[in-house]
Amino acid sequence: MYSVVHTAVLSGIDACLVSVEADISNGMPMFEMVGLLASEVRESKERVRTALKNCQYELPIKRITVNLAPANIRKSGSGFDLPVAVAVLAAMEVFPTDILEDMFFAGEISLEGRIIGINGVLPMVICAKEAGLKTCIVAKENVKEASLVPGMQVIGLSHLQEVLACLRGDAEVSVDKEENKEEIKKETMEKAYDFAQIHGQRLLKRACEVAISGMHNMLMVGPPGAGKTMIAKCIPTILPPMSQEEQLEVSKIYSVCGALKGMDQLIQKRPFRSPHHTITEQGLIGGGSMVHPGEISLAHGGVLFLDELTEFKKSTLEVLRQPLEDKQVCVARVSGNYCFPADFVLVAAMNPCNCGYYPDLAKCHCSRQSLLRYHSKLSQPLLDRIDLCVEAAGVGFHDLQKSDHSEESSAAIRQRVCRIHALQRERFAGTAIRFNSQIPAEKMEEYCVLGTEEEAYMELVFEQLALTARTYHKLLRVARTIADMEGSEKITVSHLQEAVCYRGIQKNYWESGI
Amino acid sequence: MKYKYWWMCLQGLSNRTKRNLLERYKSAHAIYDLSEKCLRQDGLLDVRQADIFLRERKKADLDTAYQTFLQTGASFVTLEDTEYPYYLKEVFDAPYGMYVKGQIPQTKKIVAIVGARRCSAYGKKMAQELAYLLGKQGYVVISGMARGIDAYAHEGCLQAGQKTMAVFGCGVDVCYPTENRSLYGRIMENGCLLSEYAMGSQPIAKQFPPRNRLISGIAKYVVVVEAKEKSGSLITTDFALEQGKDIYVIPGRITDVMSAGCNRLIAQGAGIITSLSGFIEEIEESHFSDLTCGNAFEANEIILEKDELLVYSCFDFYPKSIETVLAESGLELLYLLSVIMRLCDKKMLQECFKNQYVRLR
Repeated sequence: MYSVVHTAVLSGIDACLVSVEADISNGMPMFEMVGLLASEVRESKERVRTALKNCQYELPIKRITVNLAPANIRKSGSGFDLPVAVAVLAAMEVFPTDILEDMFFAGEISLEGRIIGINGVLPMVICAKEAGLKTCIVAKENVKEASLVPGMQVIGLSHLQEVLACLRGDAEVSVDKEENKEEIKKETMEKAYDFAQIHGQRLLKRACEVAISGMHNMLMVGPPGAGKTMIAKCIPTILPPMSQEEQLEVSKIYSVCGALKGMDQLIQKRPFRSPHHTITEQGLIGGGSMVHPGEISLAHGGVLFLDELTEFKKSTLEVLRQPLEDKQVCVARVSGNYCFPADFVLVAAMNPCNCGYYPDLAKCHCSRQSLLRYHSKLSQPLLDRIDLCVEAAGVGFHDLQKSDHSEESSAAIRQRVCRIHALQRERFAGTAIRFNSQIPAEKMEEYCVLGTEEEAYMELVFEQLALTARTYHKLLRVARTIADMEGSEKITVSHLQEAVCYRGIQKNYWESGI
Repeated sequence: MKYKYWWMCLQGLSNRTKRNLLERYKSAHAIYDLSEKCLRQDGLLDVRQADIFLRERKKADLDTAYQTFLQTGASFVTLEDTEYPYYLKEVFDAPYGMYVKGQIPQTKKIVAIVGARRCSAYGKKMAQELAYLLGKQGYVVISGMARGIDAYAHEGCLQAGQKTMAVFGCGVDVCYPTENRSLYGRIMENGCLLSEYAMGSQPIAKQFPPRNRLISGIAKYVVVVEAKEKSGSLITTDFALEQGKDIYVIPGRITDVMSAGCNRLIAQGAGIITSLSGFIEEIEESHFSDLTCGNAFEANEIILEKDELLVYSCFDFYPKSIETVLAESGLELLYLLSVIMRLCDKKMLQECFKNQYVRLR
């Protein structure tokens, strides 16, 4: 007897539909599984056999063949147990097979028959819906996640017996049926961090606003305890809210990583990722034998914060170069090529030296060698991709106490940022560019027009600060954003002057000995 | 000459012993030719020292050693020569000879300028300007070519077109620190490099304090520009005191750690430099009128706007961040940024670290 059950396999952050076919025919008694299986899928047959036995279904003494089609896609992941078990039971004619046609199954099975949740249910269910399936049966713990897809009947079950009861039509499944929420709940942003909580640091706050307005990557330099981390955590609060598509894309990434279990709505808060500096290359960009998204993909649509930039391994930081340009990362493995989205704002923080107090000679005890060594830890190509660099000055007691004039809230800043983003959408309509930070060098003359006075000023700056073509262009991009923030079509000298203030760090900061 | 060279290179005898022998026998050649009997009887050398002397003399390669030395392009100066620094002759443990690169300036107008390696913008400016003014007045500045104050002092003196002298704690052919390579070359052409250590000697920590005694020994006056509480410059002043030199100090604020050592010297009775020209008048013992010769004094002609002046006055000779000045000046952030940039363009301020600025004048 032949049967077919639908399930899906993850590939990157998307899923692709897989048919599990089971056939029981005469021949040597054996249970065989084929279809380019990873080892955890091959093991599935032992789990299924034992689980069925524990549910009082002995496998017939016949030749059982299970095929996972299409055979050219490598099957990995633990969600194949349930579909395989259902397919085998269907082939045993335990229940009518015709109801399986528009059903989707995904879940792991324990030896006693309990159904265990898996990672990546969201993209799988999206894939099932696109394929026109109507009902999906998943583990109880995956129900909420699967229900995020509108227009799909989701049934969460906890035991193989329940699945059988449900398929036979014995049990009333409506108890477990999760009502699909057509209406996404109103945004409930966590209000834990807010720019209003930060006293002082006006320069740094301003730089943050400039950075986010033009989606420029940013580096903060400052002594320990200046509030670099806190500021970075506030940055997601001034990013514009995510659109529905963005929410879905981010949620898919988190689903693949198993971070969406128990969430009853799509991720609405922009992600803030701050990996520890001991992170490996694979951890950062994604990889592993079962390829999973790295921190940069988890930061997609949000902020990747690299605290203590100089402590990261140099080789780890080098891998950031390509994703920073392409806004996505492609990981090539034997099992295939995986592309993960990685469109994030890089915010980095570092101390000025090993002890953290340079150039305050009263506090800093670093030798010249150690200062230069500290600087050499920075990766120049990475610094080249950072448009904005700003000091996070140490906070004095006076600033901490000051409460007389209230600080601006994130919501107010966010409104302005949204306006600038809309302006840029309008300006770059019909091009591949989305933000000022992405203006290529050859388009500079089109978007960053300078008057004669401004050109004279830039000539002076170019020579005085020994700029290069690259740093010059970075400066113009930032100046463009600053001009936009002021609502000025023309870049003026004062915009340029502010941009000069945010230019990148240089080796001679450490060399000159103050 | 080769006998002088041999006598200079001879290890194992102290500077004092070498000098005593020289005083008795008048020349290195005469010492070399001394008979063993004479040597053992005159009582200047003990048995061990005499053994060393005889063993070294037996080495037959004196000619080759001397030839090899000449090929290095360096020369040497000994107590027997007239070029030997005048004031150093008075120092009781002056070395018999020193290795030289360049020409020793023949003058008694020598001022030592010493100070911290890690110095503030204030120290840098003071060292450079004092050296410049001294150079213009015909003084030779001597220092140790270390980073910081030393290097700026040499620099200032060279800018004034005057010769300068650097005393090394390593061989004269070893440029230490290496980043002063260009300075090394310029001093060699315009002044001299001195060392009592053999060619090729590496900079070892213990060689630096004796080097300091030469700096103070060669100079007539010693000026300390910036010194912390525990500073190598204070070793120099200790030697200077022993040698009876006049010590002058550029004072600093009492809250400034970089000047703590200087201020302590003042408390102990060192001369205070309240103005650079005043100091030169004092050592010249005559009126010093040429006030405008310093390159810094030209600066005041730059006219600043009201707000520029306000912002400029908020900055100092140590790094100050924009955030601090923002609070002090009470100006709008964006306006302040543009004023700071204008001041940088006018070379009144300099960004010494990310968003931290110091006064240039």
